[in-house]
Amino acid sequence: MARYLTRRLLLMVPTLLAVAVIIFVLVRVIPGDIVELRLVSGGSFVTKSVIEAERARLGLNKPIWRQFVDWMSGLPRLDLGRSMWTAAPIIQEIALRFQLSLQLAIMSTLIAVAIALPLGIAAAVRRGTWVDYGVQVISVAGLATPSFWLGILLLLALLSYFHWLPPLTFTPLWVSPKANLLQLIWPALAVGYRYSAVTTRMTRSAMLEVLQEDYVRTAWAKGLAQRVIVVRHALRNALMPVVTVIGLEFAFLIGGLVVTEQVFNLNGIGKLFVDAIARRDYTMIQGLLLLVATVYIVVNFLIEALYVWLDPRVSYG
Amino acid sequence: MPRVHRRQRTWLARFVRHYPLGAAAGLAILGLASLAALAGYLAPYDPVANDFGAMFAAPSARHWFGTDAFGRDVLSRILYGARTALLVGFASSLVGATIGGIVGVTGAYFGGTIDLLIQRLADIMISFPIIILALAIVAILGSGTVNLIVAIALSFVPRIELVVRASALSVRETAYVEAARAIGARHWRIILRHMVPNVTAPYLVMLTAFLGQAILLEASLSFLGLGVNEPTAAWGLMLSGAAVEFVERAPWMAVFPGLAITLTVLAFNVLGDSLRDALDPRLRT
Repeated sequence: MARYLTRRLLLMVPTLLAVAVIIFVLVRVIPGDIVELRLVSGGSFVTKSVIEAERARLGLNKPIWRQFVDWMSGLPRLDLGRSMWTAAPIIQEIALRFQLSLQLAIMSTLIAVAIALPLGIAAAVRRGTWVDYGVQVISVAGLATPSFWLGILLLLALLSYFHWLPPLTFTPLWVSPKANLLQLIWPALAVGYRYSAVTTRMTRSAMLEVLQEDYVRTAWAKGLAQRVIVVRHALRNALMPVVTVIGLEFAFLIGGLVVTEQVFNLNGIGKLFVDAIARRDYTMIQGLLLLVATVYIVVNFLIEALYVWLDPRVSYG
Repeated sequence: MPRVHRRQRTWLARFVRHYPLGAAAGLAILGLASLAALAGYLAPYDPVANDFGAMFAAPSARHWFGTDAFGRDVLSRILYGARTALLVGFASSLVGATIGGIVGVTGAYFGGTIDLLIQRLADIMISFPIIILALAIVAILGSGTVNLIVAIALSFVPRIELVVRASALSVRETAYVEAARAIGARHWRIILRHMVPNVTAPYLVMLTAFLGQAILLEASLSFLGLGVNEPTAAWGLMLSGAAVEFVERAPWMAVFPGLAITLTVLAFNVLGDSLRDALDPRLRT
């Protein structure tokens, strides 16, 4: 088992390398000169020497292969270059926002799981009754509702009932847990509801499958309590696909909350990405794409490790 | 011809009987499409005409859904916005599913190094959330309706490709493909005559499954100012800026466009689920 996991861990390296190469190529495909676009697009007159100086400052006068070597050789040292907009090291800019995005992703996932597991289990156990249909309506509606619109509605509700809006500046958890949670709970609710939909459906279908197994019928025949059968016999065995879905959604939440962060004015990874696109900050776009892909790949590995741990039947060579 | 016609009708009748919800959703989408097509006749006002005498007007007999920060009629903008949503939704999922389908079938049929490379590339593309992928492509192409369609379509390609390829792999192993190869049929003939017809079910299922997603993505990107450009009427655009800023003063600006998005996506998702169950239940997740 340890050997299997080590091999999977080592396999992440070439995957990440390939990701880095593809991101580099993708960003170079952008037509036009970045510097000219940024300096001249305002309509102002700029001399050629200013443009050349700016190109040299950003390292764009070097040949492509040299830029590629610079970008790749920086990666092992976690050096993603400097932002073309703020000139600060990208890793620093990301670190500032990562904390917020990570916390929001964790809170949203917790809310999603708290909604999805009970609803999914109830729907499967009471299959074909109004409970089942009610749960399906809730999850179908969740899939169709844009979370940023739900966020706007939440803001509207807060304003009209409490005349209160979440503050504009972010308070870290350790500075004031209350202020921090009071600020992040609303976006987490908006996102959590939407993301609970997929998990609810997965829980329901996985439970339905397991509930038809022979050992569940045996458990009923032995006269075990329903709670014991559902939780200990069925849920434990239905958990694997559910855990996969939760994990993958969590990975997507770290960078994928672009719109919700905008609504709640949160300075997270998603907002940084949108700002970078608006400012044509290509080194930042490059760094953020790499971060998002890395999170996904690492979470994928953790899910696989969890598989090995959750399911002792599977032996890995 | 009449024989084919009858077969189609019985299929439709069976679908309506077995999936009444899906049929209702399909009917709702037809209704929305007619509203969008007739927007020019139905909309009480010009969707892009400013009326600074009627800024933030509350819903009334004159403006059923109120007006926005420029005094533009919200109902008219929603009607015209349906055109944008349906155009972007259908165009991007059609293009995305078709490219994904072609790549998937080709990869599965030829196998070997080409297939391996396509798979690795698809795996990597899938490690980005769809919205990040679409945003990155918009960053390259710039905003605007056509670029938006391309960006959404391309971000769907790897996800659709994986599903179609999986179906195509099993078709490739069938006896009739082997027989076709044995009698010396050309590659393209086998692909077009034997492979493609047998993967239309997953192709159609993926196409409809991504329709709702495409409309949500269009709304999200337009909301961020990286999709459809002002003053074109688009639901996501209507939710951005003043709609959030003045949400307490003019909640109708935020409520109605969001409702339009939610109901439309809901209809497409319900129809998609029913079509999936009817055409290819194996794709159920």
